[in-house]
Amino acid sequence: MVTQVYHLRAESQGMPPTLVSVAIGVLLGGALLGAAFDRRSLAVVGVAAALPDADVFVSLLLPGATNAALHTIVIPTIAAALIYYDTTRRNRSWLRERYDWYGVRVAWVAIAAYAVAGIGVDLFSTESVALFYPLSDRYYAIVGKFVLSTQEGIVQTYLTVGDGWLGLASPGTTGTHHVSSWLNPGDGERRLRLIESGWQAVVVLTAAAAVPAKTLIDRGDR
Amino acid sequence: MPTSVVHAAFAVVLAVGLLGAYYDRRALAVVLAVIVAPELDSALGFVMPGAHRTVLHTMVLAAVLAGFVYWDSQRSESWLRGRWGEYGVRVAWVALFAHVFAHIALDWTHLDGINIVWPLVDQFVALDGELYLSSEGLVQTFIDISVDPTTGQQVVDAGQSGTTQSVHVSTPVQPSKEPVGPVDRRFPIAVGGWQLYFLCIGLFVLLARRRQSDE
Repeated sequence: MVTQVYHLRAESQGMPPTLVSVAIGVLLGGALLGAAFDRRSLAVVGVAAALPDADVFVSLLLPGATNAALHTIVIPTIAAALIYYDTTRRNRSWLRERYDWYGVRVAWVAIAAYAVAGIGVDLFSTESVALFYPLSDRYYAIVGKFVLSTQEGIVQTYLTVGDGWLGLASPGTTGTHHVSSWLNPGDGERRLRLIESGWQAVVVLTAAAAVPAKTLIDRGDR
Repeated sequence: MPTSVVHAAFAVVLAVGLLGAYYDRRALAVVLAVIVAPELDSALGFVMPGAHRTVLHTMVLAAVLAGFVYWDSQRSESWLRGRWGEYGVRVAWVALFAHVFAHIALDWTHLDGINIVWPLVDQFVALDGELYLSSEGLVQTFIDISVDPTTGQQVVDAGQSGTTQSVHVSTPVQPSKEPVGPVDRRFPIAVGGWQLYFLCIGLFVLLARRRQSDE
């Protein structure tokens, strides 16, 4: 992949906070858990969405682990392969025997929350994610815009096309790019960010409103 | 606006969960129609200054609609229930929920925001700020309350941006109030990483839900 040098804009947003990951995880859980939706399954899915951000703890021992060690697509891929093998390839599925269909559904939604809400939200921000760690230590960010204009035609800057390669923006590798966090702030001020912009506030509020709404609805459906 | 595509994607995530047993293609289509409809106030911009993000983007309209759905679904000869049964009542509530959170609330955080309680008060408000924990404790900057040093009066800054007279939120229908040179109509699909991210989540939920029904 060809990568381009990019500069973090002054007004750029940092890492979408864990609270936002949890909110998106909760929204995914509400949409996909179906009959398995209850307090316990929602908690599992919320924790799965928050889990990738725990790599800030790893960064204290292993410099450059933030947004890399647990933000890698390798982890949900392996988890999905294990669940698939257990539930379809084996004669007696451990998961199904232990938790029945409920466990299978919750496991799949939790993996989706880990990948989509946990890793995804950071990948689509300037904070960037080492998506293929440890296979590659390069950070990637999907940022840009896609606009149809009557004067300029199609404007698309998420992907750059050059030399026959598709390139994503990348601020560097785990060796050169430090992702600052509340635990390991680099030279910045220590701050635990909960919400850092208007749209994130809306996502958190929406999740907070959707859970009671869904609970109310499920009670009526039964 | 964060584009209609982004509103629709967010609405899909909400609708799939909240429609529950009533989820089908028709219900989803109704929710999406309700999501796109408020943009019709862009067209009013030609006859009424500042109509976009005012006439159909006000929380007053949402509150009136919620009041109507509640009143109608409670009475014995309910119009919604009589016509479409419980399905109709559910779809109405979900469409309203999506309208408030996936459309109005998101627009509230974008550019000059929305004219939130028009026609009661003509004031555009934009939601922007941060919430964080630091050595100063829990800090929020969405609503700043301070005391004006000269007058001694309390000042509340909740992102007030202007009135229908001063604010024009650009739309492809009417990009600017008084165009200079060739008119550039821009139809944004997604701007910034997070908007593309929302498109991906909406698509993901739609596909995942379809797979589930095959089981």
